[in-house]
Amino acid sequence: MSHGYQFVGWNRQKKLYDLTLLGAVLSYLLLFIVGSIVLHPDAVIDMIILRALGTCAFVLLHVILAIGPLARLDRRWLPLLYNRRHMGVTMFTLALLHGLLSLLTYHGFGDTHPLVSLFTSNTRYDSLSQFPFQPLGFFALILLFLMAATSHDFWLATLTPPIWKTLHMGVYVAYGLLLGHVGFGFLQTETHPALFGLLAAGCLTLLALHLAAAGKETKLDTQDGFQQDGEGYLKLCEVLEIPNNRGRMFFVGGDRIAVFRYDGRVSAISNACQHQNGPLGEGRVIDGLVTCPWHGFQYDPATGASPPPFTEKVPTFNLKVLNGSVWVHPNPNPPGTYVNPGLVEEPGHA
Amino acid sequence: MFEQLVNWIFVAVGGYLALGLGFAVVFVLRGVRELDPTARERASVGFRLAILPASTVFWPLLLRRWLSGQHEPPEECSPHRCAACSASCEQKDVV
Repeated sequence: MSHGYQFVGWNRQKKLYDLTLLGAVLSYLLLFIVGSIVLHPDAVIDMIILRALGTCAFVLLHVILAIGPLARLDRRWLPLLYNRRHMGVTMFTLALLHGLLSLLTYHGFGDTHPLVSLFTSNTRYDSLSQFPFQPLGFFALILLFLMAATSHDFWLATLTPPIWKTLHMGVYVAYGLLLGHVGFGFLQTETHPALFGLLAAGCLTLLALHLAAAGKETKLDTQDGFQQDGEGYLKLCEVLEIPNNRGRMFFVGGDRIAVFRYDGRVSAISNACQHQNGPLGEGRVIDGLVTCPWHGFQYDPATGASPPPFTEKVPTFNLKVLNGSVWVHPNPNPPGTYVNPGLVEEPGHA
Repeated sequence: MFEQLVNWIFVAVGGYLALGLGFAVVFVLRGVRELDPTARERASVGFRLAILPASTVFWPLLLRRWLSGQHEPPEECSPHRCAACSASCEQKDVV
């Protein structure tokens, strides 16, 4: 909910999140470096630092990729989603330091330009055990850079949320490249089966989480057969099936809508938050305003408009409550259009 | 041959980014306020530095918007927004 741009819109929650993240990253690096020195006293410190940075970034990438499906499957993970972009930028910074140190260590002292050397020093693309894994890491780093560099809300507005989200889906391409980078790297330097086991476990866990979350999402988007009245209204559910100050999502008009019950009333708005297309239907009504579960953007449920001075708006839907059932017209109104809320007949009232 | 090809690619990418950096410096100082109403309200130094790297990469897009005189970010087109827009446009046509 922007009102002028600044570097970071700090609040108490973001500070706490970032401090926890920083503490976790520093603890990991310290443990890795000290542990490596103790277990391998002959190891070169440069290599230990290089690996500490690389593995920290890779572990953090797994956490980042797991947060989305976890939050879909269980709302208790939502707080982690709140500031995930800072986690992404932190991960990119670690990966960049790993990349720079690798470039300096392996390609920094020859006659060839280090970046050219990165691609030309090993051209065994036909060999599994000698495959040049470093270029894979380079391309992954480029993708991670693009995502980190466009993480500010200015880019979200400039590129529009669908394009921005498509660009940021590049994280899965980066993950694939990094799996190759780490896997081929292990083949050439480490052959302990436990490392391959860890790599496979991380990959399979992410796959399972994404499949479970996708199953839940698909179920929602294949709802069909709503009863329709003569005016074109669709019967979606009973009012009392919507928890008070909460919403329920339905697939109507080619996209999801969110129907909210609050203060004895019912309203329907488009489900996608204007900020990052977060699922408004999974949010709560706080102080009479629908609050996006991802970053807290708020909308008046009757108008779909953010309270002044903010200017975000989402489409609204005509709605009526008949005999305790919620009927919604599938044609959306322009964003910010006021619609009379349906009145809830509370149980026990004549 | 392969080394020469890699060299050429890096020279081309370097040239693109050098042009982009030149544009990005001007853009974060002046252009951003013209393209985005939120930046017109307030654009801190930290914000301008934060958008500099991606401005260096996406400079053709920003330059095109700046030259075309757009003063608002483009409207997102989701199924509901597009349907609502086309319905209101039809109504306006009828009126």
